Amino acid sequence: MNFLQRIIIEPLDKCLENFLQFLPAILTSIFIFILGIFLGLILKFIFSRFLRAIKLDKLSERFGVVEIIQKAGVKEPVSLVISRFIGWITIIIFSILSLQSLNFPVIERILETFLLYLPNVFIAAVILFLGHLLGNFFGRAALIASVNAGIKISGLIGRFVKIAIFLITLTMALEQLGIGRETMVIAFAIIFGGIVLAFAIAFGFGGRDIAKNYIEKKVKGEGDKDDFSHL
Amino acid sequence: MEDIIIREDIQEAVGKIKKADILVGIPSYNNATTIGHVVKAVQAGLAKYFPHKKSVLVNSDGGSTDGTIDVVQRSTVEDFQSILLHHKVEPLYKIATPYLGIPGKGSSFRTIFEIADALNVKACAVVDSDLRSITPEWIELLIKPVIESGFDYVSPLYHRHKYDGTITNSIVYPLGRALYGKQIRQPIGGDFGFSGKIAKFYIKKDVWETDVARYGIDIWMTTTAVANDFKVCQSFLGAKIHDPKDPSADLSAMLYQVVGATFDLMEAYSEVWKAIKGSEKIPTFGFQYAVGLEPVSVNLDRMIDNFKLGIKKLIDIWKLFIPQEIINFLQKMEVVRKAEFNIPDEIWAEIIYSFAVAAHSKVLNKEHLLKSLTPLYLGRVASFVTETWENSAAEVEENIDRLCMCFENKKSLLLNNWV
Repeated sequence: MNFLQRIIIEPLDKCLENFLQFLPAILTSIFIFILGIFLGLILKFIFSRFLRAIKLDKLSERFGVVEIIQKAGVKEPVSLVISRFIGWITIIIFSILSLQSLNFPVIERILETFLLYLPNVFIAAVILFLGHLLGNFFGRAALIASVNAGIKISGLIGRFVKIAIFLITLTMALEQLGIGRETMVIAFAIIFGGIVLAFAIAFGFGGRDIAKNYIEKKVKGEGDKDDFSHL
Repeated sequence: MEDIIIREDIQEAVGKIKKADILVGIPSYNNATTIGHVVKAVQAGLAKYFPHKKSVLVNSDGGSTDGTIDVVQRSTVEDFQSILLHHKVEPLYKIATPYLGIPGKGSSFRTIFEIADALNVKACAVVDSDLRSITPEWIELLIKPVIESGFDYVSPLYHRHKYDGTITNSIVYPLGRALYGKQIRQPIGGDFGFSGKIAKFYIKKDVWETDVARYGIDIWMTTTAVANDFKVCQSFLGAKIHDPKDPSADLSAMLYQVVGATFDLMEAYSEVWKAIKGSEKIPTFGFQYAVGLEPVSVNLDRMIDNFKLGIKKLIDIWKLFIPQEIINFLQKMEVVRKAEFNIPDEIWAEIIYSFAVAAHSKVLNKEHLLKSLTPLYLGRVASFVTETWENSAAEVEENIDRLCMCFENKKSLLLNNWV
């Protein structure tokens, strides 16, 4: 009897005691989590209405934001995307709070590491977004400029500029996230340098005569331009 | 003066002159080779046609390094009898100064307006410093309508080669005429006459830190005069021959500047142009005569190639704001032979209106939008050249008039889409 008491009953009692001690924390945690979900849904609804009321979708269309997010594969209106984002952020914040309320040292440590890392993820996302915008902007500028200069491979030039800018920002984002810090920079330098060198050699060999004619024309001023004034 | 933008020594010179009747401004930048002739023509014109008026010549320079200002100071008509002048002439005051502010023709004009305002002049004229064909009569034709007939703004009218001034002929003139209802043939001619009253009006406008100070001053002056109901006329000056422009000057940058300034003014004066239908002739001064013009060379193949390259590479950008039926037409043009190449007036007017609406609704970055117009513009010029190859100057003028009518008839398209 004594044996049973020691081996089974006492540990079970202790376990029950621990569970009862822990129960309020679990209930609080579940409550915070459910509250987060509700609050997230409510905020999503409110922001969706508000953003539609201030005609954000029309403004975004006017400023070219719709074009950018559609290119990124997002088909929903901007107001919905933002309100959804706000909803999810609320749910994530409340999930973290609910986990913290459990007072588990291991979970606390993991959360601490995660929270400290979170700004890096945010900055990396911003860098990538800016990279996408800048890549599109300068890619299009290069495309239009090269078409106006009558360069046949203008499409290639536009894409090259766009990809080069995106590669630079991708490297910066990965560096921010601490993923293969030096490896990424070196890999980027090798790839980017290699592409530029390849182009230089290709143009050097393939377009030697074209370059020679072009420089000769520029130096001697013998362009095939029209001699009427446009203005 | 609220904003002092003229140097102290110039204020001193202005203080000594105190008051004047006429001011002629010459903006310059490295024009030492041509400005001497312009100064002499201006001096002769003032002496011959306004001998009893107190006149000032202002050279507003953009920091020339070739001695332009020295040439202005040295140049003078020594023998007035050679221009059949025997009467006593009021001395001509000269002010040659580097202008302050953002580099550009607009800032240069601002200095001229400031001095005109300070001297309380009755009439002004501005003439380009690279003109080779300017005669003393230009001064009479630009100033007299202001002094004797009470006009506020005198636009130039020239005889030019049929392929000269293609941005003016295919965009600025037809668009400006359809918008503001006045048939001002050379709205960006560069040589203008205007009253002291309008110079004061220009000075008060808050545009001198914007692109107007850099470029687009010509179209800004003309549009501001018309849109604000000033009395406008034009004077026939003969042929316009000037120093050849830098051949490497970028056409797309030129289009961006001129068309961009025109579209900006459309924003500023939308309530004015929306109410206007059709167009009317404006009073024209000067005896019109035929002028022999030097032939110009046109590289048609290069223009068509550039147009076709644009269709291939930029069609996705244009699809964002040009109607589908125009896109379909442009795609058809990509494969036609040179002899059949044609962009009709109706299509061209719709293209320009689509660009204007796109600039208004900010569909794209403005510079990208306007620079993407270059291949279409070259296509239109090629089409115009093919169409008018055998035509005389008068027939070409009829063609341009038909294009203008097309812009006027299609203005409803612009009004419906301008939201």
